[in-house]
Amino acid sequence: MSEIITPFMMQSAVQAMTPILLAALAGSLCQRVGVFNMALEGQMLVGAFAAIVGSYATHSATGGVAAAMAAATVFSLILAFGATVFRGDPVVICIGMNLLASGLTAYLLRVLFGVSGTFSDPAIVGIDKIRLPALRGIPVLGWGFASETIITWAAWALVAIVSVVLFRTALGLRLRGVGEQPDAAETLGVNVNLYRIVTILCGGALVGLAGAQLSLGAVSVFAEDMSAGRGWIAVVAVMLGRANPLYAAGACVLFGLADALSIRLQSQGLPNQLTDISPYVVTLAALVISHRRRTRAARPSAEIAAASPAPAGEAQPEAR
Amino acid sequence: MAAFELEARGVVKRYGALLANDHVDLAVERGEIHAVMGENGAGKSTLMSILYGLQRPDEGAVLLRGAEVHFRSALDAIAHGMGMVHQAFKLFNSLTVWENIVYAREPRRGPFVDRRAARQSVAALAERHRLNVDPDAVVTKLSVGVRQRIEILKALYREAQILILDEPTAVLTPQERDGLFEVMRHLAAGGRTILFVTHKLNEVMAVTDRVTVLRDGRVVDRMRTSETSPREIIRAMTGRSVNLKVDKAPARIGAPALEAVDLAIAAPGGKPTVDKVSFAVHAGEIVGIAGVAGNGQSELVEALVGLRPADGGSVKVAGRDVTAADVAERRAAGIAYIPEDRAAVGAALGANAADNLAMGFHRSAPIGHGALIDRKAMGAKARALIPKFGIKIAGERSLVGSLSGGNLQKVVAARELSHEAPALIAEQPTRGLDVGATEFIHSQLIAERDKGRAILMISAELSEILALSDRILVMYEGRILADVSAEEASEETLGLLMAGREPVAA
Amino acid sequence: MSARAADRDGRPRLRAPPAAVALLFAALVGGALILASGANPLLAYYQILVGSLGWGALPDTLNWATPLVGMTLVAAIPLRGGMINLGGDGQMVIGALVAAAVAVYLPAPGPIAAIVALIAAGIAAGLYAALAAWGETRHGIPMLISSLLMSYPAIGVVSYIVRFPLRDTTTGLPQTSMIPESARLPTIAGPLNVGLLIIVAVAALVVFVDRATIVGYELRLRGVNKRFAGYGGVRLDAQATRVMFASGAIAGLVGAIIVLGSQFRFIDETFLTPSYTWSGLMAALLAGGEPVGAIAAGVFFAALQTGGFAMQRETSIPRVLTLVLQSIVILFLAVRHSVGRRA
Repeated sequence: MSEIITPFMMQSAVQAMTPILLAALAGSLCQRVGVFNMALEGQMLVGAFAAIVGSYATHSATGGVAAAMAAATVFSLILAFGATVFRGDPVVICIGMNLLASGLTAYLLRVLFGVSGTFSDPAIVGIDKIRLPALRGIPVLGWGFASETIITWAAWALVAIVSVVLFRTALGLRLRGVGEQPDAAETLGVNVNLYRIVTILCGGALVGLAGAQLSLGAVSVFAEDMSAGRGWIAVVAVMLGRANPLYAAGACVLFGLADALSIRLQSQGLPNQLTDISPYVVTLAALVISHRRRTRAARPSAEIAAASPAPAGEAQPEAR
Repeated sequence: MAAFELEARGVVKRYGALLANDHVDLAVERGEIHAVMGENGAGKSTLMSILYGLQRPDEGAVLLRGAEVHFRSALDAIAHGMGMVHQAFKLFNSLTVWENIVYAREPRRGPFVDRRAARQSVAALAERHRLNVDPDAVVTKLSVGVRQRIEILKALYREAQILILDEPTAVLTPQERDGLFEVMRHLAAGGRTILFVTHKLNEVMAVTDRVTVLRDGRVVDRMRTSETSPREIIRAMTGRSVNLKVDKAPARIGAPALEAVDLAIAAPGGKPTVDKVSFAVHAGEIVGIAGVAGNGQSELVEALVGLRPADGGSVKVAGRDVTAADVAERRAAGIAYIPEDRAAVGAALGANAADNLAMGFHRSAPIGHGALIDRKAMGAKARALIPKFGIKIAGERSLVGSLSGGNLQKVVAARELSHEAPALIAEQPTRGLDVGATEFIHSQLIAERDKGRAILMISAELSEILALSDRILVMYEGRILADVSAEEASEETLGLLMAGREPVAA
Repeated sequence: MSARAADRDGRPRLRAPPAAVALLFAALVGGALILASGANPLLAYYQILVGSLGWGALPDTLNWATPLVGMTLVAAIPLRGGMINLGGDGQMVIGALVAAAVAVYLPAPGPIAAIVALIAAGIAAGLYAALAAWGETRHGIPMLISSLLMSYPAIGVVSYIVRFPLRDTTTGLPQTSMIPESARLPTIAGPLNVGLLIIVAVAALVVFVDRATIVGYELRLRGVNKRFAGYGGVRLDAQATRVMFASGAIAGLVGAIIVLGSQFRFIDETFLTPSYTWSGLMAALLAGGEPVGAIAAGVFFAALQTGGFAMQRETSIPRVLTLVLQSIVILFLAVRHSVGRRA
């Protein structure tokens, strides 16, 4: 067993999981408040790019992280206001945001740094890893956390914090009500738009953090479209976890392990084009299994319904 | 004289060209149960939303105990002691009863919700007002009657002194309704004031102290319940004497056109949703299914029409077994269907009249030819149907989304009736319609019956069932409890059956 | 619902066509970006205009429009029915690979091989897309998610096949062998080949089906109200599968046309850089799935992107800017005018 699960594999799994975990956390919060956030991919890309720019400009990792969170939050204003005050279709807005992020970061890469494709520079300061040699002794879990960035630690702490806030505090109760039945919440005096806007923006900050981890957490490099589908995997994690931070985190663990496994297989000689696809295959399989288990319990799935092009999604005519 | 508890003086509200409330005066005394009556479109909902702070009047004033108030929002109204129980409940289905009741006013310990205190307050409140609820139950699992109690408790938790109940009995069995009346009397006796918005005459006569009648946005009459009669109220509501009974010739029954044999739909965990239901609807008769919503009627209809697979039994149309057929095939075999939800199922609001009037019959002539569709034929059909059914719409190219409830229902009826199918299923055909539209639909149904169609009507309005049906079935918990002819049935016996109890043998 | 002629209170409202306003807004934001980078926006826009619609540039624009309009149709067909196919990339490369493989390895005379290649590409890609529909009808996985997630493995596997089993080992590059001359699509003029005519024919077919057939009516009404369509007897699951098949098939056809008409081999990683799929999706979203509007938007975006190349040549402003402009247009319309799946 220890030949398959190596310390290095666990370390890289936990590291790879972090951006997806943060994005899934953000996605869960948005889902809870009734906005289907499919722009995690774009937000992460914006964060990753801003982190590089910030770190380059300030020669510090902190500058990079701050820039990432700020940029992603500002970027999220589009969804925050577009889907609430302006009542636009969140799905189209998110697709537009993803494409804008891709184009804008590519454009700025060329304009600011004069390169295309990837960008790296000695002036960029990456995020240090927190080394805890004591953990190396604990198999599997210890290996995972023996050498990770502060963002990774923050991500796991946030999973716990967000869960507590969501299910134990008055704020969390109101938030859940907003997503479940907005007009009921509104009549009882909860400002639905305000809750949604603030939640989406906070989610943006979280995904910005994810982007910073992506570009500064391991090798300090920005590559075009480097989010590479992680935002979508986070969307699936939210669906599988039914917008519950703990369950979504569980789904992220699953994907992280699949990812690490694929890297392991790569080192065994399988071509990377094939191993790279394993997270997606695992994701699809997980969705099928999850649906099977749910239909057996015959409970309708609000997130699947919300996720499909239907009232949060499909053409539901508005009765006047 | 003491000031009125709640007053509206000269309230005016316009929506564009429409004058929804035209100088409305309303005066409600403390501790009374006051009915606000009127047809759909008379202005009741507008007035209530103004009283509850959801809208602001263009002119006029609202007074609370003699002092003028300007509610900026529902929250403001709540703070002044107003409470509203809407017709469509506004509950958080996945949350518990106590979470629903204390929402946005939670007892706290720091940022955390004090669960023990919350549960205790809810339990105490429920007991005080004799509203039986389990604080820890999750709302999805609760019946409609219980959900209504939660809505009332929500208002009482916020210390409402004036309760507005908007069509509260639409979804209750007669027995549940009587329970509600008990609660209302108890609350009124305790000094609270109740505004009872409804169009049901017998309920108004049973429980209210005074009545205000609206028509076309204006107050046309105010009376003391003890001093008036249903006839008087109806005349005030409609401006004319309306024939409350429907005249129809005796039925001429033919062969069975729609049959269900041991139809069953299972449900997870035990009790079937539809439990071995058998009946037949013959040509030339109207069979009415009475029953409170939620006893399997919707699922039964879905199984008859093909929108849901049955777990057992069979369906026959004009003698043909269609149990394995899908919706398109069943329509071709001879079923037409007026669904319960005209906006979400019976029409496409974003499409025009021609598109709406063609759906379901577009696969065959004159509209469908092979794989192609004849748009001109679609237009011609629409142009013929619009005047025939009196649909008030600009043209067949206009979107149906802007039509009123009555007009939209006419579109649905026009489409389904024009097919001249041997079997017609009509679900809640006059829900939300004013008296004029209701009369029209009823006359259409009678006309179809006289032409020899078999009509299966599902309705929660007992008066409608009693007026139109030749035979009445009562559905309770998925079973048909009774199959009686219209002459033998009465509201009392049907009411008991609808609640699951056998009527005492006369 | 795009611009309403009168607002809720019945007062008539001035109606500027939303697309024009969106374009203006995008031009302004883009202009600001260009200014910030130190260049001249007016010159840039002039170059875009000349570089796309100028006499010499028109063939390039049409050539670019061929795959772009194709991918627009790929997105528009399901969108008309309220469904979304985000897997165009994967479907396109599957079609391209199948076409390349058939053209290179099928022992048949050139033109026959070409025709078989086109058909096989369409079928293969169509089946793959239909899988996503099946994922929703049978397993409850929303098509939006499954079509996108399936795209990545498709690209990965195709990439692997090109780099290993089917690789042309004589060159050092990840590509298949050249397809024989006789199997290539004949050229019309300049860069234009028969592929353009194929796409035009497909576009005409799509418009015809939408306007004049039962299938088109049922799909359109499903897009307006799915439950209404089901109530009227439309077989929703079969419809979803067929629509996704058609959508994927066109994507495969586009891939085949690129291989057989321009590149004459499958070169890995060249299909996705032009972003045909995403631009096509944006064009379809602009029109809410309505075919004629979508095609027009697709042609417009093709002109914008071709112009972008000219702009980059003449002013060295990166041509990715045109993609930024496109995104801004779609975002503006999505936010301000509720454009989207229900236009």
